[in-house]
Amino acid sequence: MHEFAMAQGIFNTVYDTAIANDANEVTEIVIEIGRLAMLNPEQLKFMLGVMLEGEELTKNAEMIINTIDVEIKCHNCGFEGIGNIDDSDHYAPMILCPECESHRVQVLNGKDITVRSISIEKDDDED
Amino acid sequence: MHKIADVEIAKNIMAANDKLAHKNLHLLEDHNIFCVDFVGAIGSGKTALIEDLIDNLDEKVGVLAGDIISDFDADRIKSHNAPVVGLNTGTECHLDAHLVSHGLGDLPLDDIDYLFIENVGNLICPVDFQLGSHMRVVVVSVTEGDDTVEKHPYIFKDSDLIIINKIDLADAVGASTDKMVTDAKKLNPDVKVITTSLKEGKGLDEVIEAIKDAKAHGVEHHHHHHDHDHDHEHSHEHEHTHEHHH
Repeated sequence: MHEFAMAQGIFNTVYDTAIANDANEVTEIVIEIGRLAMLNPEQLKFMLGVMLEGEELTKNAEMIINTIDVEIKCHNCGFEGIGNIDDSDHYAPMILCPECESHRVQVLNGKDITVRSISIEKDDDED
Repeated sequence: MHKIADVEIAKNIMAANDKLAHKNLHLLEDHNIFCVDFVGAIGSGKTALIEDLIDNLDEKVGVLAGDIISDFDADRIKSHNAPVVGLNTGTECHLDAHLVSHGLGDLPLDDIDYLFIENVGNLICPVDFQLGSHMRVVVVSVTEGDDTVEKHPYIFKDSDLIIINKIDLADAVGASTDKMVTDAKKLNPDVKVITTSLKEGKGLDEVIEAIKDAKAHGVEHHHHHHDHDHDHEHSHEHEHTHEHHH
């Protein structure tokens, strides 16, 4: 439900970075969304798309959204790594160890929303 | 001629909120205040629980009452003679650390031992937003349906105490309290699950004991919040990569 606020945060980061790097145009944006972040990637993409289209600098940017798997640690058997991937049960990774099936697991990674990088075009007369 | 450049950013969009939450926590600790974030759906009994706790804890309680756009909850709490500040989120579905920091400025921090934050009624959005609390308590009522726990795993997984309320109404609405307890324990095996009927005063003592215990001994199950017991240079070994930008 707070996809708009997140999209705004991503847009601001992209825009500010582009300005700071003297970009003429942003061509690509790479975003990482953890499988456990409380965001719907499709909604986020839609809202961010509307924001990007509204600025000359970003209107042609391609959005690449990578999903980050859930990393867990099992307090029962000591397993550390990627949790169960099961699209029919999207919260399986946070409650079940793939090794010993214990529920005593801790989520190490997979909740964050990260702007990884952008690709820009700029004048090359500076260097 | 144009050249193409790739600019590495690696900015965690939640980092700004996390940083503010950390600041809130420090401010609270400077005043020896134990802070609890109460989450749960609309009508689960969050306000009723806070009212009962104010009346029955032998220490002083201050409250930040989050609501979309009203002061009803804040007014209810005021009548119990506890300092309360209402936080209206406007349209947002959750409190964030920034709003909480404003509320802290309006509370008599030297005069309270506990700060209770009542989050906006919602089982989804508050999960992503740390506020700077020591403990998160989730309140769910059997009248929401006994599948509510398994349908909202994240918030139950991320809470430090689970309260299943209105158990006196379970039969009337055909809900199984046992199923909800089982689901809660499956999601979060290490935290206490307490069944209550706040209307009948049932289970309240146990809740008081759990909160007092957490205040005295710290919260063991602490994967959600910043671990304030550690050195502050020590980054959070799990969850947040905290790559501070620029």
